[in-house]
Amino acid sequence: MTRPKPWYKHGGIITGIVLLLLILIGGAAAALVFTQQSPDQPIQFPHRTHVLIGAQCQYCHPAVAFSAEAGLPSTDKCWGCHQQIERQSEQLDILASYVESGEPIPWVPVALLPDFIHFNHLTHVDSGIACETCHGDVSQMTVAEPQTRWNMGWCLECHSRTGEENFVRLSDCATCHY
Amino acid sequence: MAQVTEQPRKWGMVIDLDLCTGCNACVTACAMENNIHYTGEDEVAYGRGLYWMRIQRYWHGEYPNVGPEFTPMLCQQCGEAPCEPVCPTYASVHSNEEQINLQVYNRCIGTRYCANNCPYHARVFNFFDYEIPAPMNAYLNPDVTVRSRGVMEKCTFCVHRLVHARIDADTQGDPSLENEVTTACAQACPTNAIMFGDLTDENSPIRTLFERSERGFQIMEELGTFPSITYLKGGGVYGGRD
Ligand code: HEC
Ligand code: HEC
Ligand code: HEC
Ligand code: HEC
Ligand code: HEC
Repeated sequence: MTRPKPWYKHGGIITGIVLLLLILIGGAAAALVFTQQSPDQPIQFPHRTHVLIGAQCQYCHPAVAFSAEAGLPSTDKCWGCHQQIERQSEQLDILASYVESGEPIPWVPVALLPDFIHFNHLTHVDSGIACETCHGDVSQMTVAEPQTRWNMGWCLECHSRTGEENFVRLSDCATCHY
Repeated sequence: MAQVTEQPRKWGMVIDLDLCTGCNACVTACAMENNIHYTGEDEVAYGRGLYWMRIQRYWHGEYPNVGPEFTPMLCQQCGEAPCEPVCPTYASVHSNEEQINLQVYNRCIGTRYCANNCPYHARVFNFFDYEIPAPMNAYLNPDVTVRSRGVMEKCTFCVHRLVHARIDADTQGDPSLENEVTTACAQACPTNAIMFGDLTDENSPIRTLFERSERGFQIMEELGTFPSITYLKGGGVYGGRD
């Protein structure tokens, strides 16, 4: 006499569960990979070249010194140098076409927090924190790369290292969420 | 180099009802400052209007000598807030730094317990996602999160201004920058009926008014909520009325 198979031993159900697991794991892996990839930029702007020739971060992102945002440079700023440099790559022809049409370059944001968080560059740069601490070594990057682990624990972990007397203020929800 | 901040502050507000003309400038300023959605007439009729501040109007006197009385009503930023202990997700929390009540929008799941427990009816709920048609989105204040559906919201004492003032004061090494900060409603008030300031600051003009004015009272103080707003009213002898 054969006993009926318990429900979880049916082939269909096992295949279903395996497929579901595969989809979940695959989805998670894809999410991990795709969120850590640099998006396609209109111009493959090489940070490395520019930092190597001695351009300071604050020359192109001047607002870090006085505001919450860092800001991206305008085409005028690029053109100030590139007008004088011989164009050797088609990337620079793209730049020239933006300058001619007078349109801003539609850069794709890389370093981005959700809207409900209000980050402030001014106070961090003023406290002497180097850009690399948060953005990785941009001077070695060809295009800006997203950083891993930009979550609330990361902010709070560093804030907790600034000392107990500051931590009430730096961990107050109103400091970042409003 | 940023400086370590000094004593904890306590922000407070004084509203002089004898000066208030009920002009609604504060309500408008508040809506513009804080990206408050425009819900439309129907929604307001259903009781789903969004406002962080409103003018309550009462009539006083016998016909024909009837006169209106206005009371600007907003979140009283209670010291012992009834909204805080009832929140199941700790989205309605007390800020130790600013000494105000916060609503952390991303933490809020919309149970609306807090609004039910608020004796001042100061909290409003986003029942829908409200569309902001094209040119109007340029009005949005980038310093304030645009709330979406299912989130409770309320007056924040313009906490974004407080934080920015503190950061400016810190980085520029000039503490007076922080004392100058004011809320949108106080800034807009044409008769200066709304005054905002730091209650721990000896030189603050509102400190004596808040604590010692003869005309001062706090709304529903018998509930023991310890509001951060004191109202002033001279029993009708001020302002030209009988
Ligand atoms: C020649 C001008 C220039 C200099 C110098 C420069 N940047 Fe940039 N930076 C740009 C431009 C243009 C972009 C936008 C293109 C991109 O995202 O790749 C950008 C993007 C970025 C981004 C990503 C922002 C985003 O979300 O789009 C970061 C982070 C950044 N820069 C950091 C730095 C740091 C750190 C330095 C100094 C080591 C630096 N930059 C120097 C021009 C410059
Ligand atoms: C400080 C002057 C300076 C500024 C400002 C500047 N560049 Fe450059 N850029 C250079 C120099 C120098 C090179 C190297 C030229 C070369 O190798 O031919 C370069 C190289 C490049 C290249 C690489 C060309 C190649 O060989 O592929 C690109 C793309 C580029 N710049 C884009 C930009 C953009 C976009 C901006 C504006 C955000 C900008 N640059 C601003 C000086 C500058
Ligand atoms: C404490 C960490 C931290 C430091 C230090 C820091 N940044 Fe950022 N940066 C961020 C975060 C977080 C964002 C995302 C902000 C957002 O989305 O609101 C950002 C965004 C940016 C952007 C994107 C565009 C923008 O306007 O916000 C640029 C460019 C940038 N940073 C450049 C810099 C430069 C240059 C420095 C050094 C002077 C620097 N950052 C230092 C954390 C940091
Ligand atoms: C590498 C360390 C570090 C990281 C990472 C960091 N912070 Fe900070 N943050 C600081 C320091 C240091 C201060 C300045 C404290 C002071 O005022 O002396 C500060 C101050 C601030 C302030 C201003 C506080 C005030 O009112 O004075 C805000 C807002 C803030 N951080 C937000 C963030 C957010 C959001 C993140 C995460 C995206 C973050 N920080 C990540 C170190 C860090
Ligand atoms: C130093 C800045 C900082 C402080 C202080 C802070 N947060 Fe956050 N919070 C963040 C950042 C940054 C994120 C975004 C994380 C991400 O994108 O993964 C976040 C995300 C969150 C989220 C998740 C939202 C979502 O949808 O993913 C919640 C909930 C939250 N915070 C609640 C709080 C509460 C409650 C407090 C006060 C006790 C607080 N936060 C204090 C920076 C902060």
